Amino acid sequence: MASIKEQFEIPGKMRTWSIALICVGLLALIIGFATKGISTDQHQKDIFWGTLMYNSIYFLLICNGSMFFICATTLAMGGWQVVFRRVPEAISTMVPIFGLIAFVILMYIVFGMGSHTHIYHWLDKDAVTNDEILKGKSGFLNPGFFLLWTVLAIGLWSLLGWRMRKLSSEADDPALANQDAGKSFIWRNTVTASLFIVWFGLTVASTVPWLWLMSIDPHWYSTMYSWYTFASSFVAGISLVALWIIYLKNKGYLAYTTEEHLHDIGKFMFAFSIFWTYLWFSQYMLIWYANMSEETVYFKHRVEGAYKGIFFLNIIINFVCPILILMKRSAKRNYTLMTFMAVLIIFGHWIDFYQMVMGSVRPEDAGLSWLDFGIAFLFVGLMIFFVGKALAKKPLLPVYHPFVKESVIHYT
Amino acid sequence: MHLKYESQLREPLVNGDKNYHQVTEDICRPIEVRPTKLWYIGFFISVALLLFGVYSVYREVTYGIGQWNLNRTVGWGWDITNFVWWIGIGHAGTLISAILLLFRQGWRTGVNRAAEAMTIFAVICAGQFPLWHMGRVWMAFFVFPYPNTRGPLWINFNSPLLWDVFAISTYFTVSLLFWYTGLLPDFGTIRDRAKTKLRKKLYGIVSFGWSGSTKHWQRHESLALVLAGLSTPLVLSVHTIVSFDFATSVVPGWHTTIFPPYFVAGAIFSGFAMVQSLMVILRKVFNLQDYITLGHIEAMNKVIVLTGSIVGCAYLTELFMGWYSQNKYEQYAFFYTRANLFSPYGWSYWGMMTCNVISPQIFWFRKLRRNLYVTFFMSVVVNIGMWFERFVIIVTSLFRDYLPSSWPVYYSPTIFEMGFYLGSFGLFFTCFFLFAKYFPVIAIAEIKHVLKTSGENYKEKVGDIEKEPVEEFAHQYAH
Repeated sequence: MASIKEQFEIPGKMRTWSIALICVGLLALIIGFATKGISTDQHQKDIFWGTLMYNSIYFLLICNGSMFFICATTLAMGGWQVVFRRVPEAISTMVPIFGLIAFVILMYIVFGMGSHTHIYHWLDKDAVTNDEILKGKSGFLNPGFFLLWTVLAIGLWSLLGWRMRKLSSEADDPALANQDAGKSFIWRNTVTASLFIVWFGLTVASTVPWLWLMSIDPHWYSTMYSWYTFASSFVAGISLVALWIIYLKNKGYLAYTTEEHLHDIGKFMFAFSIFWTYLWFSQYMLIWYANMSEETVYFKHRVEGAYKGIFFLNIIINFVCPILILMKRSAKRNYTLMTFMAVLIIFGHWIDFYQMVMGSVRPEDAGLSWLDFGIAFLFVGLMIFFVGKALAKKPLLPVYHPFVKESVIHYT
Repeated sequence: MHLKYESQLREPLVNGDKNYHQVTEDICRPIEVRPTKLWYIGFFISVALLLFGVYSVYREVTYGIGQWNLNRTVGWGWDITNFVWWIGIGHAGTLISAILLLFRQGWRTGVNRAAEAMTIFAVICAGQFPLWHMGRVWMAFFVFPYPNTRGPLWINFNSPLLWDVFAISTYFTVSLLFWYTGLLPDFGTIRDRAKTKLRKKLYGIVSFGWSGSTKHWQRHESLALVLAGLSTPLVLSVHTIVSFDFATSVVPGWHTTIFPPYFVAGAIFSGFAMVQSLMVILRKVFNLQDYITLGHIEAMNKVIVLTGSIVGCAYLTELFMGWYSQNKYEQYAFFYTRANLFSPYGWSYWGMMTCNVISPQIFWFRKLRRNLYVTFFMSVVVNIGMWFERFVIIVTSLFRDYLPSSWPVYYSPTIFEMGFYLGSFGLFFTCFFLFAKYFPVIAIAEIKHVLKTSGENYKEKVGDIEKEPVEEFAHQYAH
């Protein structure tokens, strides 16, 4: 019997592409920094740092979505995902890297930019003293807490994610074939996964989006905001997993991952696109229905002003396309179509993050420029480079995982 | 051929040395013997409660809404609280049958039938409250949109209350169809086993002439998938629209964007709690411990701790936003009337927090998830908590209206308001007792479907497969 390819070797082409993307990104970063980043015009400066901010947060959250996927399936005792589990694991190694980048950018905005930035208006001490509402919020919106919570959030995601990946390495060891060892393995996975999920709930599903993103509009609030952010980043995260799986399949790896598994990932992409739309609609409709100016202010310029095009594009890409295209069974089992949809969804939610951040940083004018794409290329390049490395570190199949055989015969 | 295999680390879904015939015997037995004394006692208590409910409603229809203690600002009280509570309970069945089917959760087969039945009865109970709350119930048909002779008086399509009419009736219809089509093969089985002519005739009629042919099975399976697809958005839509009843209003404590998903999570939470209450008793009384195993109970307790925590996250989000908004009205609603233990209704908020958020956390521990007494106790606690939640939302927001002159009014129900609620329990349990007597409480055909993969004795037979190396295994069985 021919042995299967389960040790990933980074193809030269992939390395070249990732380095090329990083170079293009760095070029954009340098030009952006020189022309906008250190500009005396506060508006240009805000655009530059705002662009860095939404990109870093977006890519951090979608990579963290991979770890969420692993932990959620672990807690649900899922078996079907084991044959490709190493892929989301590799993607989740980006959390410390993107976390560090996001941390540096956020800290510069909070501590380095001074109080005149339009990104976080609550940093402006004069404004806070003269504004009852901002003054009232200062217990939450202050640099000290921002620093503390950001460190804790990124730190614990990274730590618990690292712990999950470390546990996963045990599945390469024949000692795990023993039933008792398998039981203990599942148990230890469950404990760490539940810690991760709880911390995820306390950060991504609540505090972190308020602190990092919603506070860009410091007067505005919506209880749905964090769950919405979670849905947006998770559906893009699962699409990223799909994309990597398809890439590896095309290179001849992941022999046991079949269209059955792809089909189920497609279902996730489909279902969470609808779920995102559900949250989008609920938030929008309730604010529209009540028609109170302190709430509608968020949507006013997004629906009617400069962001009108992007606002509708967001719904078309992230709702209309997935529901129409991914509805069919055959679409979810088609590698080409799934590749297209995964790219589209990742792009679509990048647009969503763009309008969430830039729609508030620069409400008066919109438009994706070379800077937005350049910075995105930088993150994509880094992601390809490091995820490739992480994939090459371990065998792609956790051979002794107790559920691996269920996954091999999985059919949907 | 598809290999019937699952990991030995998974608990069997069917315990004991079972074969297809034994499964049929075990599940049909309660239907084919005379009911026990306990059944009669329970049934008559339920009917008595139902009659008290009927009397309470009779009072309300005859003398008017004044029979209840609703007042100028608290225009919704126990009635709408009970409505939302029952609707919430009516979520678990369809979640189990549809969403867990899509997630391929094998354990659903042990509990789906009874949970779906419970769903249908709960929705029937829920429907009573807005219906009789109309006062002039003979005008109830006014809610339907049709060209009428009342001048240009159409229903208000902008009102979430009207959306409720459509959402709930659609949900009810689809749930009923789902449940009933699932029952057809089992009715066929009971008919074939019938010893008397009458019994054969009656079960023959309700089984729609089910013959068990391949054609029937094929259509049955495709229909199940279509209905599962339809029900999945319905599970979410019903409580979403119920939440719109509140969230569209500009009332502090009601108008909050997280309401739709948080109501859905809460509904599943309470629905599972009710399923637990019923299952813990049912498995014992009907001797079905081999089919509704501790593993099933544990799985449902996991759903309870998950949804309880989601609901907790939503409560804390609301509370935080109440403060963060720096909106005086929101702050008053959340910090003066709700989270303040010494405000007139503070007890209800803290009752809700204790029952729904704090107490379910004990289910992080495996031992407690598998303890039947703890499970039963917690299932009751959760449903009390979820009743409090709706009471908190409705009454605490309404009794402190924008008009301070109406403030001193404290709302508490009359005996007939309570009677109506008790009557809905009567209705629910009367239906459930009849169901348990005349219907197979576990889906016989579906248990047979998982038996060879997850039955204890079958799992033992494929134990050796665990030892095969993956590559060899894949070569032999992968497709």
